[in-house]
Amino acid sequence: MGATGSKLEKALGDQFPEGERYFGLENFGNTCYCNSVLQALYFCVPFREQLLDYYSNNKSIGDAEENLLTCLADLFTQISSQKKKTGVIAPKRFVQRLKKQNEIFRSYMHQDAHEFLNFLLNELVDILEKEAHAIKSDAESSSPPEKISNGPKTGQANGAQKEPLVTWVHKNFQGLLTNETRCLRCETVTARDETFLDLSLDIEQNSSITSCLKNFSSTETLNAEDKFFCDKCCSLQEAQKRMKIKKPPHILVIHLKRFKYIEQLGRYKKLLYRVVFPLELKLSNTMEDADSEYSLFAVVVHVGSGPNHGHYVSLVKSHNHWLFFDDENVEMIDESVVQTFFGSAQEYSSNTDHGYILFYESIGTGNKS
Amino acid sequence: MKMMNNGYNSSFNSNSVGLMSNTGATTASSSSSTSTTNANSQSQGLKTYFKTPEGRYKLHYEKTHPPGFLPFSHGKSVSQVTLAQLKDKPAQAGPAPSSSSSASASSGVRYAAAKFLGVGGGNGVRAIGFAGGNGTGKAVNGTSRSGSLVGSNGSHSILNPNYDGKGTYLIFNVGDTIFIGDLNSPDKDPIKSLHFSNSNPICHAFDPEAKDGHDLLIGLNSGDVYSVSLRQQLQDVGKKLVGAQHYNKEGSVNNSRCTSVAWIPKSDGAFVVAHADGNLYVYEKSKDASVDTSFPVIKDQTQFSVAHARSSKSNPIARWHICQGSINNVAFSTDGVYLATVGRDGYLRVFDYSKDQLICGGKSYYGALLCCTWSLNPWHFVDFLLQVSGVAFDSYWSSPTSDDIEENVVYRFGSVGQDTQLLLWDLSMDEIVVPLRRCPPGGSPTFSTGSQSAHWDSITPLGTLQPAPCMRDVPKLSPVVAHRVHTEPLSGLLFTQESILTACREGHVKIWMRPSSESQSSNSEALVGGSSSLAGSRVGSSILK
Ligand SMILES: [Zn+2]
Repeated sequence: MGATGSKLEKALGDQFPEGERYFGLENFGNTCYCNSVLQALYFCVPFREQLLDYYSNNKSIGDAEENLLTCLADLFTQISSQKKKTGVIAPKRFVQRLKKQNEIFRSYMHQDAHEFLNFLLNELVDILEKEAHAIKSDAESSSPPEKISNGPKTGQANGAQKEPLVTWVHKNFQGLLTNETRCLRCETVTARDETFLDLSLDIEQNSSITSCLKNFSSTETLNAEDKFFCDKCCSLQEAQKRMKIKKPPHILVIHLKRFKYIEQLGRYKKLLYRVVFPLELKLSNTMEDADSEYSLFAVVVHVGSGPNHGHYVSLVKSHNHWLFFDDENVEMIDESVVQTFFGSAQEYSSNTDHGYILFYESIGTGNKS
Repeated sequence: MKMMNNGYNSSFNSNSVGLMSNTGATTASSSSSTSTTNANSQSQGLKTYFKTPEGRYKLHYEKTHPPGFLPFSHGKSVSQVTLAQLKDKPAQAGPAPSSSSSASASSGVRYAAAKFLGVGGGNGVRAIGFAGGNGTGKAVNGTSRSGSLVGSNGSHSILNPNYDGKGTYLIFNVGDTIFIGDLNSPDKDPIKSLHFSNSNPICHAFDPEAKDGHDLLIGLNSGDVYSVSLRQQLQDVGKKLVGAQHYNKEGSVNNSRCTSVAWIPKSDGAFVVAHADGNLYVYEKSKDASVDTSFPVIKDQTQFSVAHARSSKSNPIARWHICQGSINNVAFSTDGVYLATVGRDGYLRVFDYSKDQLICGGKSYYGALLCCTWSLNPWHFVDFLLQVSGVAFDSYWSSPTSDDIEENVVYRFGSVGQDTQLLLWDLSMDEIVVPLRRCPPGGSPTFSTGSQSAHWDSITPLGTLQPAPCMRDVPKLSPVVAHRVHTEPLSGLLFTQESILTACREGHVKIWMRPSSESQSSNSEALVGGSSSLAGSRVGSSILK
């Protein structure tokens, strides 16, 4: 293991980024789903920085009740404060906590990396919200609000109670979708906004993220069994529905629905489709004129031909170098290798390494709010 | 600036590497239920023809690597195709007879179509090496072309005097091998394979006007470059290059991957080699390649700079540092005056080659720019915002309406992409073309809908690079034809007088015959209607005039 570390160091040479650490994560028996996502999150720099920030500010408060947030922060701190530049770390506490918290992840079976990511982000949000509420009620009863050292930076006055809290997790990952439904009888358009922390996209053979996003936003007709209840007509009506991105997130997480339930088979199947994901992505939205521009910085890859077994690895871009994380092992790769994870153009292929969760960071011109 | 020249009878060399098609938006969105089995069965049902307004194109021949040649590791190598026409063998040592063959189907760089790679490289990894399969090296009577084989028996000392005559050949790389097929033969198998033991061939270019026999350039993943005589390769039975001139030996000048090679038109054997590190070198094939050249260190990777060799004996004679990151492809204008490059940074750049000067350029909408192409008119080019892997103008197609009147020129061009489709587009210059507008100092680029302003603003300061346009400002164009031609993502497209050639990344080439004149009329009702479903396929074009 030490040898791989030094090999990576050698490969990077004097290009090794100042202050950066590249550590593999030990696998505790089928925990690659966790490791691959953790690496992607660690190299999501704004997320990492805010987590470390939060942690160093909150440690002083002292009420160190262990939860997934503190475990994750511990782990990231542990990595970032390593003396060595490369090596292996065992994310033991984090994995134990995860298994304690959620029985799904308790077994040694193959887990879904997207499910884990989803669970983790929502859990972090919950913890932060709970804390914020506790602080708020504290503050309201005793001290003036200025004394809150590291409360969530909501900026809003404490009056608006029902307003959902915007934590730093939200600020990184949350985007807004608008779901427009047009009644085909009265033409009334009902728009409902939904927040999201990631986008799950249906995929097709020999397609691209751009085309999948286009399909995602395409118009769907609600009819037959699936009619829409129109408030104006007061009855079920045929309608047209479409989803549009209203406010794009700062970190865009795209989950490709590679595991699909096939009715004829009565089970899930992995779709090996070739889906091209670009290094730079444009995303249009309904709020601004300009499209948001994103840059790919991490890919969680599923290795294997079926949904119930296999392996997860991740590709990460850090300081303009691409790195390959496979549990304990970390290697440097060429950018051109990224395209070997697009998928298979034909159904039967020896290539089973497929991009599964894509992480894009906004490089949007101007407003970084 | 206008040098309209519809009289050209040349094709071009559309080496292409493919990534990132956005053309895939064609299929209906069945966003929830199980449509998977469906999609799979489709892959088998490829048609052997496709319809266009001018008639039906039929699958004529297919070319591929021999069956014994094992598929190389998935996705790690991309096949490119070069078309090469050999004229009658010239009298020994004499200058090439100024060919009267008007249908020289391959004036390599005539008006080049350049392909640009998105995710950098595509070939960065060496594919698993296998020796060329059975029988490919034999090259026995590969030319079964009728009539046209005029054996001018110049020399028949070597093994395959067949190749003294005329012929049109297809050169394509697969893994560690270059295959050569006879365009006019029904044989699927190549007539020749050239094996490279150290590194994979990545790009190639043919110069039909080469004077001294070396007409084929081959660039490798290791950075090495060879020039050879195509005819000499065909005449030899071995699997190794013969009579090759070797440049940048073992990467001595530059050890990053060769991404593109191009002969400089009207230059008497000079050529350029583009590399994955953003540098481009100019070589002269007549010069001894063994003289080493060193160039000054590049101080600012982001700045364009040209350095000429200090010694007149060195080869390369110059280094152009063009951009940060890979240059994905290069193309010269017909007259050799302008050089266009496209890179990983998403910029298309146009240089005045002889003046070492950046003239203009622009950033693509979608990150890394994939392709651009020179049209017939050397000063018109189309900048594809569409992320296709191959694009080419069809110089043989003439608009049914415009009678070569310059006012409203309609260009036909094609593109191929990762969605396995061939798209044909009719581009009417005055309607479609968007200006790359001048960027006012400090301001953002403006867009004008007026067609009269749809030209490069003449006051644009020299060397200005335009920012990416906004998608909303770019007119959307629908293809005239969209046809799924292969099961694998496509990487190459060429037009010849008689046919359209499509190639996929795995090294399968299909030759589609143009509609014959009699069938043309019967097909005039052909489908154009498909275009509405393709509204998602977007192309933005910019014109320079
Ligand atoms: Zn209604």
